[in-house]
Amino acid sequence: MRLNVRFAGAGGQGVISSSVLLAKAYGIGEDYNVSQTQSYGPEARGGACKAEVVVSDENIDYMKVDDVDVFIAYNQTGYDKYCAELDDTDTVLINSTLVETKNSQHYEIPGTAIAEEMGNPTVVNMVMLGALTKLLPKLHYDKVIRFIREDFPASLATSNIEAFDRGYKYMEEELIRRLKTQS
Amino acid sequence: MEIHINGPRPQNGRKVILQGNEACAKGAIYAGCRFFAGYPITPSTEIIELMSSEIVNVGGTFIQMEDEIASACAAVGARWGGKRAMTATSGPGFTLMQETIGFAAVTETPVVIVNVQRGGPSTGQPTMSSQQDIYQVKYGSHGDYEIIALTPSSAQEMYDFTIRAFELSEKFRTPVILLADEAVGHLREKVVIYDGERKIRGGHRNYVVSPQEDFYMGNNSLVEGQLHDEEGKRIGHLAPKSSDFINSINRKITNHIDEIHDIETYLMEDADIAILAYGSVARPALNAVKTAKGIREEAEEKWKKLRFLKGLLKSKALHENPYSHLNVGLIKVNAVWPFPDNEIRRLAEKCKYVFVPEMNIGKYYKEVERCLHHSKVISLPKIGGEIHKPTEILDAIAKEVEESE
Repeated sequence: MRLNVRFAGAGGQGVISSSVLLAKAYGIGEDYNVSQTQSYGPEARGGACKAEVVVSDENIDYMKVDDVDVFIAYNQTGYDKYCAELDDTDTVLINSTLVETKNSQHYEIPGTAIAEEMGNPTVVNMVMLGALTKLLPKLHYDKVIRFIREDFPASLATSNIEAFDRGYKYMEEELIRRLKTQS
Repeated sequence: MEIHINGPRPQNGRKVILQGNEACAKGAIYAGCRFFAGYPITPSTEIIELMSSEIVNVGGTFIQMEDEIASACAAVGARWGGKRAMTATSGPGFTLMQETIGFAAVTETPVVIVNVQRGGPSTGQPTMSSQQDIYQVKYGSHGDYEIIALTPSSAQEMYDFTIRAFELSEKFRTPVILLADEAVGHLREKVVIYDGERKIRGGHRNYVVSPQEDFYMGNNSLVEGQLHDEEGKRIGHLAPKSSDFINSINRKITNHIDEIHDIETYLMEDADIAILAYGSVARPALNAVKTAKGIREEAEEKWKKLRFLKGLLKSKALHENPYSHLNVGLIKVNAVWPFPDNEIRRLAEKCKYVFVPEMNIGKYYKEVERCLHHSKVISLPKIGGEIHKPTEILDAIAKEVEESE
């Protein structure tokens, strides 16, 4: 199994930090092999930012994403830049507050809106990570929570976990809705 | 493929997710590095960052210096004072350190210098990767000296090779360069790390001309940048003695290549095309070999099942393998300098072609070409800061093979 996940967004949105948490949850929590890489410009905030996670039960030779399976877009620029590379079968999650799409197959999560509703716009990445966790195979809710707790100081962990939980539940409802419309 | 630290791995390992740079810092502390001087520079800053907080916990010293010249000098000085020392930098800083590297070579000071390569020349590409310093690392300082350089390709190797760099530098009493690059420095992977401190024997007398078992030991040690004898006295004006000295600091490395060289191979037994790679490029090169041999298709099958079970991801059509006619194997060079002539000649002697992918304008392939007389050596350079894709390597090989047959 090789799962290629790509995140794209702007510097400061927490793109890299969410990809690192995903790598830790898969790598240590679920004991798969993982590799996490990123590319960004010289600026600390703004600017295009891309992060990639490869998950596999075998040794990972080529550490970058070779063929995207799951794509998460935090902003429109990132979406536009990498969308052309995708196949119809690839899974796509978008932060629908900031990204517009015409493809109804894409999973739309109003990440920024949910984070602002919580009064903390910086946790948008946790909302997206929550939704992603629900969608990905062989990844458990509590494994991700464990690393959010480890990586953030206690004062920040609570709001991050809440955001993660909201994203997870949002995706849960979305999946149920999709199943119902299918049948 | 798994790299081993010399001897068996200790039992108390634990798995963590670390960036290559962080793994390097952890490896240094495990190897007994107790002095670190540095000046932060992308993409090596994480080493300095982690060292600044962790070396103090084990009773070591961290100094942020005013520049890279001072950083390298401080590390050399600290080793004279009896502490195992390291510094880390990237291209522009490494250029500034060249004088001190020559000085460390002539004073036979064991010191580890990490160069996490970025694109050059000059300020170049701070956030992008390259392997452009492969020659600078060997020829950067003036005069005749030999250097040992190790090229890690994974976060685990960043950890292991840092430890090995300390072992080699202590054994041969010489500066050792850990020649990493941005792609591996900023790569997060699972790494097995150890608590405590590894025993490394220092002050080997048999390889060294300079005075003292070690530099300190309470004696009035004379350390001299001019060529010197066993007592530290200058001999630069005496031709025969000077010649002996230069021979000695070079031969202690070139005569012991067997102990230094570190080559891994994959499916080389009956290959007639070899891919020779070092550093992070060895990763796509290994993938290319597996792709050509159809070894990756199994992985594809398994994943297909998982997609089906999940019901969310549909299976992707399996394409026919367009590279199945290429009988390729991999030679992965972990210690790029001193150049392992004999070993490469032995491994590649039956190969018709040897391809050398590297993230520079094409440098190391010249060494390979010099050493192999019966194979066609072809350079696959890539500049701009991105690592080769496995298919790029395979396409280039397929094209070359097609054209010449």
